[in-house]
Amino acid sequence: MNLQPYIAPTIRRVCQTTANPQRLGRVPVMDAIDGVPVSRLIETHGSPLFVFSEANLREKIRGVRQAFESVYPNVTFAWSYKTNYLNAICRVFHQEGSIAEVVSGFEYEKARHNGIPGNQIIFNGPWKSVESLRRAVSEGAMIQVDNRDEIVALARLAEELQTSIAVGIRVHVDTGTHAVWSKFGFSADDGEALRMMTWTRENTRLRIRGIHCHVGTFMLDAGAYATATKAVVGLAIAAQEAGGALVEYLNLGGGFASHARLHGQYLPPEQATPGFDDYASAICSSIKQGWPEGCPLPKLYLETGRALVDEAGYLISSVVAVKQRRMPDANGALAAYGKGGPTVASAVRAYGKGGVANGLGSTRRNAVVLDAGINILYTTAWYQPSIYPATQTAPGMQPTTVYGCLCMNIDVIREEAALPDLKAGDAVVMHPVGAYNMTQSMQFIAYRPAVVMIDPGRRVHLIRRREVLEDVQGPELVPGHLAETEQPTAAIGRHEP
Amino acid sequence: MTGETDLTRLEDLMLNERGFVFDPNTGESYQVSGTGLLCLRALQRGASIDEVVAQLVTSHDVERITVRCDVDAFLWDLKQLGWL
Repeated sequence: MNLQPYIAPTIRRVCQTTANPQRLGRVPVMDAIDGVPVSRLIETHGSPLFVFSEANLREKIRGVRQAFESVYPNVTFAWSYKTNYLNAICRVFHQEGSIAEVVSGFEYEKARHNGIPGNQIIFNGPWKSVESLRRAVSEGAMIQVDNRDEIVALARLAEELQTSIAVGIRVHVDTGTHAVWSKFGFSADDGEALRMMTWTRENTRLRIRGIHCHVGTFMLDAGAYATATKAVVGLAIAAQEAGGALVEYLNLGGGFASHARLHGQYLPPEQATPGFDDYASAICSSIKQGWPEGCPLPKLYLETGRALVDEAGYLISSVVAVKQRRMPDANGALAAYGKGGPTVASAVRAYGKGGVANGLGSTRRNAVVLDAGINILYTTAWYQPSIYPATQTAPGMQPTTVYGCLCMNIDVIREEAALPDLKAGDAVVMHPVGAYNMTQSMQFIAYRPAVVMIDPGRRVHLIRRREVLEDVQGPELVPGHLAETEQPTAAIGRHEP
Repeated sequence: MTGETDLTRLEDLMLNERGFVFDPNTGESYQVSGTGLLCLRALQRGASIDEVVAQLVTSHDVERITVRCDVDAFLWDLKQLGWL
């Protein structure tokens, strides 16, 4: 006999939001990633499991290069290590011609370990230790100075070495789209950056050869890059006229949006996210229009990270428990729009009718607990990943709260995702999760999962194994007086003489 | 005041194939899962709890203990509604 898949018997009161069970549409099943069945990935590598598509990584970097190289003669992309510094990921981008962009001595070491020579490393960040600067200088890295203290530190180093050091200077620009990132660099709007360039030229052995401006992150308005680029071009011309610098390169940083969806974002990513051509046009047109005629165009560096790696990353996870979540009597979602009045049930009760008692007098919502938590999905603080069932399930979507596995009430991956009825053991796939979740995840309560990469030939490669106890407690030291363990039960049973 | 006569009997409920349940006494509507619909219909026919469980186990890929646990929780919900 052909047995049907089992879903528990459940009942929910219908309220405004669930009256039409078709309103949530259909969520497609994702039963394979790059042609490899999700069930096979779990069987081989366990759940949860991060999966990266090498084909998608290569497609993205080739796409963004094509967009820029078709409109500008001299462009180099630098892989943003902080977005994802798994060595396998970095090496894909390096194979595709990207140099490295790092923001700490640790990342610098990783880039060198991945075979990138110092002169192909862009060294960013608001703090660089003297030791890391010394190494970067000796290896010819492209240091982007962020603040006066760093200029002074580099000036001392140049005196000590009796040599000039070529650097770039980081600036910030008010693009009118969001709060200015004034944490980084010098203001290009009020003359601060120009003054520092001139001062540096007149008082140190540093030679400013580039200007760096990273306007922000997840920029949904490509026009912000046009504003920033015009300001940077203007600064380069002013600095040259003032004798402060001979600018050879412009670095417009990163910040291109991926197809992730921000909390509260109305339009779907397919409509809201600019294409690479939009960013390329905004930046390159602004340079070409503003750069003095007859002067060779400056080299252009770009450090985009999220837009190149986010969609290559998936997280497979499994349902470990199913719950019915009791929701507040008023419709919270509609209340936000001033329409969250009393429910039908409470109105009926007001007329002495309505035998609806206790929990079912309120709305209920499906809820599932997954075997992955927000400690490995740091970006869920800002973005809501799509969640797809990995197997064919019961028809009909329900608003579903998706909890993580942590013993913490804040561990909510999605407050409301459209999912079919699921049961313990069912697998789901979250996407896109490739940006920042590797580098910002924290070990907490459970071991972090394995990471695999699927190559274009559908071969699956383990690129980070699942953690084990020694990974967590390896750096720990136990003081001598605590080194000898004593069984608590023995201590309880022993009587003082 | 809610009197005895206001309570809905199981057989009064109106069900459709997609799991939509209408309680004519209160005017409330409910959505049940496929197995929930199977349970409600069986109970309307006068089936015992053991018979409901057996029917689910026979037709679904699931252990009996799981079904028993879930059906008991479902019946508890129905009692909260005054249907049992």
